[in-house]
Amino acid sequence: MSMDRTISNFIRALRNADVRVSTAETLDALGAVELVGYRDKAYLKRSLATVLPKTVDEKDTFDACFDQFFDFQDVRGEQSPGGSGEDQSEEQEGEDGESGDGEGGGSSGEEPKGKKKKSKSKAKKNNLYEEEEEADLGPGEITDPKSTLGQLLMGNDRVELSMAMGAAGEETNVRDIKIFTQKGLYTRRIMDAMGLPDLNREIGDLRTSPQVPARRLGQQLKARRDFLREQVRDYVEKQFLLNADVSGKRLREELLRKIKLSNVEHRNFRLIQEIVYKMAKKLSALHSRRKKIFKRGALNVPRTLRHNMSYDGAIFDLHWKSVKVDRPKVFAICDVSGSVANYARFMLMFLYSLDEVMPKVRSFAFSSDLAEVTELFNRNKIEDAIAKTLRDYGGGSTDYGQALLDFKKNCLDDVDNRTTIIILGDARNNHGEAHAEVLKEIYDRSKRVIWLNPEAKLAWNTGDSEMRKYGAYSHQVEECNSLMHLERVVGNLLKQIA
Amino acid sequence: MGDIEKIAASVASLQESFEAHNYICSDQIATAVFLAYQLRKPILIEGPPGVGKTELAKTAAEMFALPLIRLQCYEGLDESKAIYEWKYGKQLLYTQVLKEALDEVLQGAKGFSESVKRLHEFGDIFFSEEFLEPRPLLKALKEENGCVLLIDEIDKADNEFESLLLEILSDYQVSIPEIGTVKALAEPPMVFLTSNNTREISDALKRRCLHLYIPFPDADIEQRIVAARIPEIPPELQRQLVAFIHELRTLDLKKQPAISETIDWARTLVLLHAEALDPKLVTDTLNVILKFQEDIENVTTEVSSITARITK
Repeated sequence: MSMDRTISNFIRALRNADVRVSTAETLDALGAVELVGYRDKAYLKRSLATVLPKTVDEKDTFDACFDQFFDFQDVRGEQSPGGSGEDQSEEQEGEDGESGDGEGGGSSGEEPKGKKKKSKSKAKKNNLYEEEEEADLGPGEITDPKSTLGQLLMGNDRVELSMAMGAAGEETNVRDIKIFTQKGLYTRRIMDAMGLPDLNREIGDLRTSPQVPARRLGQQLKARRDFLREQVRDYVEKQFLLNADVSGKRLREELLRKIKLSNVEHRNFRLIQEIVYKMAKKLSALHSRRKKIFKRGALNVPRTLRHNMSYDGAIFDLHWKSVKVDRPKVFAICDVSGSVANYARFMLMFLYSLDEVMPKVRSFAFSSDLAEVTELFNRNKIEDAIAKTLRDYGGGSTDYGQALLDFKKNCLDDVDNRTTIIILGDARNNHGEAHAEVLKEIYDRSKRVIWLNPEAKLAWNTGDSEMRKYGAYSHQVEECNSLMHLERVVGNLLKQIA
Repeated sequence: MGDIEKIAASVASLQESFEAHNYICSDQIATAVFLAYQLRKPILIEGPPGVGKTELAKTAAEMFALPLIRLQCYEGLDESKAIYEWKYGKQLLYTQVLKEALDEVLQGAKGFSESVKRLHEFGDIFFSEEFLEPRPLLKALKEENGCVLLIDEIDKADNEFESLLLEILSDYQVSIPEIGTVKALAEPPMVFLTSNNTREISDALKRRCLHLYIPFPDADIEQRIVAARIPEIPPELQRQLVAFIHELRTLDLKKQPAISETIDWARTLVLLHAEALDPKLVTDTLNVILKFQEDIENVTTEVSSITARITK
């Protein structure tokens, strides 16, 4: 029962970390735990690693999560074999097998902490703020603390302390923590639940006490209280990481979908990438059925015979093997000069994330001269390929005319009536020769030319923008500057080529 | 029967038994096989080519003394090749025979309805088990004492084929419209699926399997693998060889050398009576471990420095 709870809490933490765990897998995990037990942590980890995470990425996440989660559980379950704590919270006995491995690891971890505690209180003494007059009481007699928390602190039993902390955590429902601003609140609540008010009162009393041993105690208690606060803060932090609701993330994702891609800050790139993958996955699922167009091919002998059984074996109802039509092609030509680079980044990301349903994509990058980067994308991970593309071909002033000429020279022969060409760029040609006639040639040969312009429609045709000339030779011209636009464009694209 | 249970009773005994069959496996691999047996779940094995994914299934079959039934996946694989097929030739032949005998059967039947009734007595014999040609998956279900079913390179098959597998993976049964459901006999097959990750396997399939990722092994395990496979190799050469391969894996290569290449190389070097690596020897035999001209050219320039590093 309680074992189930530990696992289900762990799975909740995993889900928060974006590892998809289904109910069936939860049951498998329970089955595995039943077999394996909690005794050997490495063994448990290996076992759960085969049951819960199902991709290499997820395995990495799983490893981190497991270490974090069961490290914490360890602290709570760590107890001397004899002394059974009286106020064990429900998940306590989950670690009934703790005596083996966890214990050894725990006690070795205890020492540095204890030292830290000492040095901490020393540092406090040297710090001397508001404690000046009591700073040097020296070693000697100390009276016994009266409040429960005080006794706990002076008992110096880290295990009991963390158990009390865990219990207080349960009491204050720290697992429900949602957003990071709540961290302070929960820290305070847990401290209160552990009996902070009593302790504070006691410390107050002690510090004004005339007796030296009592004042000495007050000082000690204060240092330990500060230490405890730090511990609680750590604990809440951990709980936040494990349990924080994804709604905050979802909110951010929602915003990022609509934001102009050029405004995306660097730190959000990873998240954007995730969103792109998600969108791509959705589109993949939507279009994977549609992509298969079958054509009559060779005679399917078994099927024909089988279907003609009922006609006395006389073969007149013919069945054919179906053959998949060669997949159509997509050429993506991206302006990667400064202003448009970010859009190019996300569009390429999108196109290559769709490789399951997307026909063969060939991609080209240019700022003035055009270069094919298909091979780069085939050999590298998407992110690396994009970074390399931007590094090698980005920067420099834009010359659409030259890029079109280059394209004509190198690849026009490969363009046929099944080819879709996507051009991403703002059409700002620095007043150079537009060479729209080249685009016309491409337009005539290809199935579709789609021009995506990241600028707002109002800004088209102003200044050095050649959108009007190019737009004339495009089947479709679209404003495209957010993930939502991208999703729509690519979605339509998939519909048309399928 | 009892043997299998004994071997699969713990991770340690599995590991030992694998080793006895010359398959050196990490804790992770042994744990996965252990869980797969205990929980009766299929294992999906992923990892770079040549790390022993298929070998694991083969060794497991050998170890448990079970027959190995293998289904090699490829694009266009469908149920008639994977699950079952009707023996249409036989069916045709029988109809011809039956046509001749039809008069006899219908002799004395009065009126049309009675004739039809008599015909019905034959039932759907044409679509009964006698006319069924079992393909690997169905064969695996029909093995009485269980078997090891290896579905190799599942990523090569189409998406649709994965859905076809779902029933057999989760319930160890197959539904044949004309006959009904065929369930596994007493002992369900141990199923191993392998994938080289050329495409994502669907979530539905993954959900039904345990997942095992086999990476390139660390030097220690790889040395033991080489020693197990080629016992006659000099220990110093064995160490250098594995170290060299590990150096290669850190380079940016089109195809990194896998364990199978290490073993091939070790065999080659033993044949050449080599005692230790030297740049010339390595350069001459590089084509055993590297399969692309481009890679060979890139590495050739590095050979002497790597060899110097590992032989010092």
